Amino acid sequence: METVPRWWQAMTSSLAPSTVNHIRERVKQIETLPTIPAVFLPLLNLLNLPIDQVKLEEVVKLVSYDNTIAAQCLRMASSPLFGLARAPESIKSAVISLGLRKVETILLTCCMGNVFSVKDWTIDPTNYWRHSLGCAMVCRKFSEKLAASDGDKAYIAGLLHDIGFLVNCMTFSKEFAAAMEHASTQQVPLEEAELATMGFCHCDTGLALAQKWRLADDMLQAIAYHHHPERSHSAQPLVALVHLSDLLCRMRNLGYGYYERRRVDLAHDPAWAILANEYQALEQMDLARFSFELDEAVGEIAALVDIIFGTSHKE
Amino acid sequence: MAGMQIAGSLSSPPDGAAVIDPVYRQIRDLVYKVSGMYKSEEKLYLLVGGCERRMKQVGTKSPRGYWEHLTAHPSRDGELRQLLNELTIGETCFFRSQPQLDAVRKVILPELAADKTRQITRRIRIWSAGCSTGEETYTLAMNMLEESTALLKGWTVEILATDLNDRSIEAANTAIYGDYALRCTPEYFKRKYFSVVDDKKLQVRPEVKKLVSFSRLNFQDDSRMLFMKSMDLVFCCNVLIYFDGPSKSKVIDHFFTNLNYGGYFFLGTSESLLNLNDKFHLVHFPGAIAHWKPSLGGGKP
Ligand SMILES: C[S@@+](CC[C@H](N)C(=O)[O-])C[C@H]1O[C@@H](n2cnc3c(N)ncnc32)[C@H](O)[C@@H]1O
Ligand SMILES: [Fe+2]
Ligand SMILES: [Fe+2]
Repeated sequence: METVPRWWQAMTSSLAPSTVNHIRERVKQIETLPTIPAVFLPLLNLLNLPIDQVKLEEVVKLVSYDNTIAAQCLRMASSPLFGLARAPESIKSAVISLGLRKVETILLTCCMGNVFSVKDWTIDPTNYWRHSLGCAMVCRKFSEKLAASDGDKAYIAGLLHDIGFLVNCMTFSKEFAAAMEHASTQQVPLEEAELATMGFCHCDTGLALAQKWRLADDMLQAIAYHHHPERSHSAQPLVALVHLSDLLCRMRNLGYGYYERRRVDLAHDPAWAILANEYQALEQMDLARFSFELDEAVGEIAALVDIIFGTSHKE
Repeated sequence: MAGMQIAGSLSSPPDGAAVIDPVYRQIRDLVYKVSGMYKSEEKLYLLVGGCERRMKQVGTKSPRGYWEHLTAHPSRDGELRQLLNELTIGETCFFRSQPQLDAVRKVILPELAADKTRQITRRIRIWSAGCSTGEETYTLAMNMLEESTALLKGWTVEILATDLNDRSIEAANTAIYGDYALRCTPEYFKRKYFSVVDDKKLQVRPEVKKLVSFSRLNFQDDSRMLFMKSMDLVFCCNVLIYFDGPSKSKVIDHFFTNLNYGGYFFLGTSESLLNLNDKFHLVHFPGAIAHWKPSLGGGKP
C-alpha cells in the first residue's frame, strides 16, 4: 500500500488512522467505483486553464463523442435558468450566447449523470441530484451576488460536494442505510447521523474518491470540508460558499428528502464571516429574497434532473 | 443583477403561450422594493391580474401606461396602495403556511419547552398581529392545542390577536367560516375543532376560542404597542407590506422590544424585512423563514 501523504493526514485529522485506511482500502477495492469517464477529467482540467488557452473546438470535440450527452447539454443550455431568449441549436451557438465557461460546466453536469452506475441507491437519487444541481446553481448565483470572479468553479464545487454519498451507496451500503434511517427517523442532519452510526461521513469517502480521480486541491477541500469550512487550509472562501449554499438548499426544499428539525442562521455561521472577510458585497445581501428566487428555480432544477440524471438510476 | 435569471423563461415560452409583458417584472420589483412582498414567477399571473383590474379603474390600457401611474403620476402612492390591496384581497385562510406551523411545532416549541428558565412559568405567549378575520389566529390556537397533551402538557398558552379593523375583529369573534376560508384545512382539524353551523359553514369550537383574545390595535399607536409585552412568538403576516420604510422600521423595532429573548417573529411566506433591522437574526427552518431575537449572551438558545 502506498504511504499516506502528509496533506491527506492533515485533511482527515478528525478520524482515527485505522478508519482512514479502512475507507481507502474499500474505495480501492470496488470495481464499480467510477472509472472517471474519458471526457470528464479533460473537461475539468480545461476549467482550470486560463480562458484564452481553451479552444472551443476542443470542447466541442469532447462532447460530440456522445450523442446523449450532447442532447442533454443543449436542453440544459436552453433552460430558463440561463435566461437565453432563444434555445441554442448547437454547442457552438451555446458557447456564443453563454460563454465557454458556462458551457463547460453544463457539459460537466451532463457527464456526471453518466459517471455513476449506482446499483443500490440508499439515498433517493432524485433527491440527491436535485440537491447537488441546486447547490451548484446556488453556488454560482451566490458568487455572482458577491461579484466573486469564479462562479463556474463554485458551480462545480457545488455539484461535486456530496459525491461521498455515492461512494457510501456503492461501498458502504449497509452502514449508510442505517445512517440514513437514523437521520430520517430522528430528523437530524445526515452528516451527524453518519458520524453517530458509522464513525465517518460522506466528506471522508468523497475525499477518497476525489483523490483517486486526482481532482484539484480546491475541489478536494470543498468535498472534504463543506461541513466545516474553518478546517480548510487553502480554499476557505470557496468551501464557505459551498457550506452556506448546501444549508440554504436544505432549507428550501432541495434537501435529502426528510424534515430536518433545525434552525439555520446563515448570517451568523462561521462560514459567513469567512466570506464577509473576502467580499464586501455580502453585507448588502437580501437573504430572504435570495431564498424566494431559489424557490422559483426549484421546478426547473427538478426538470433538468429528470432529463440529465433520469436514465442513470433507472437501469 | 437581481433574479435567478429565470425571467427569460416566461417571456419566451417554447409553446408560444401567453407572453408576459416585461413591464410586469418591473412592477414586481417596485412592489418588492416598497412593500417587501415578493411575487415569484409562478405567482406573477396574480400580479398581472391585479394590475389589469387596476388598469380598468384608472382607465389605462397598456402596462407601460400603468407603470406611469405607479411611478410618475401625482397619485402614485395612493395607486400603489390600491394595487397592494388588490394583491392581498381575500388571501387569508386557515393553514396558510404549513412550513411555518412545522417550524413552530417541530423546532421552536421543543426548544422553548427545554429551556430551564421557563420551567417555573410554563407559559407561552403568542401575538397574532394584524389578524384580520381570525383564520391565522385560530390555526395557531388549534396547533397549540394539539401539543397541549404532549410537549406542552401543563403549560399555559395565551394568544393575543389584534387588528386595526373593527369589523374584522367582530367577524373573528363570531368565528364562523365558509369553504373558501377553510380550503387548506386538514379534515382532522375540521372534525376536531369545528362545529357544523349549516351545510356551508363551520364554527370554531369554544375550547379553541378560549385560548384567544381579540382586540383592536393600530400599529402606529406607540403607547399601546409598548404594552404588548413578553411575547414568545409574533406573527405579523401580510400587514407590513402596506407600510412605508420608516413606519415599517418603527413597527419592527416594537416587535423586537415586545419579544422575549430567544423569541421569534414571523412575516408572511413571501415577505422580507428588506434588511430594515439588524438586531433580529434572519433564520431558516425547512421551508420557512423567521426573525429571531437572540438569547441573552448572543449565540444559540
Ligand atoms: C392581508 S390582512 C392579513 C391577515 C393575516 N395576517 C394573514 O396573513 O392571513 C392585513 C391586515 O392588516 C391590518 N392592518 C393594516 N394596517 C394596520 C395597522 N396600522 N395596524 C394594525 N393592523 C393593520 C388590516 O386591517 C388587515 O386585516
Ligand atoms: Fe454534505
Ligand atoms: Fe449537501
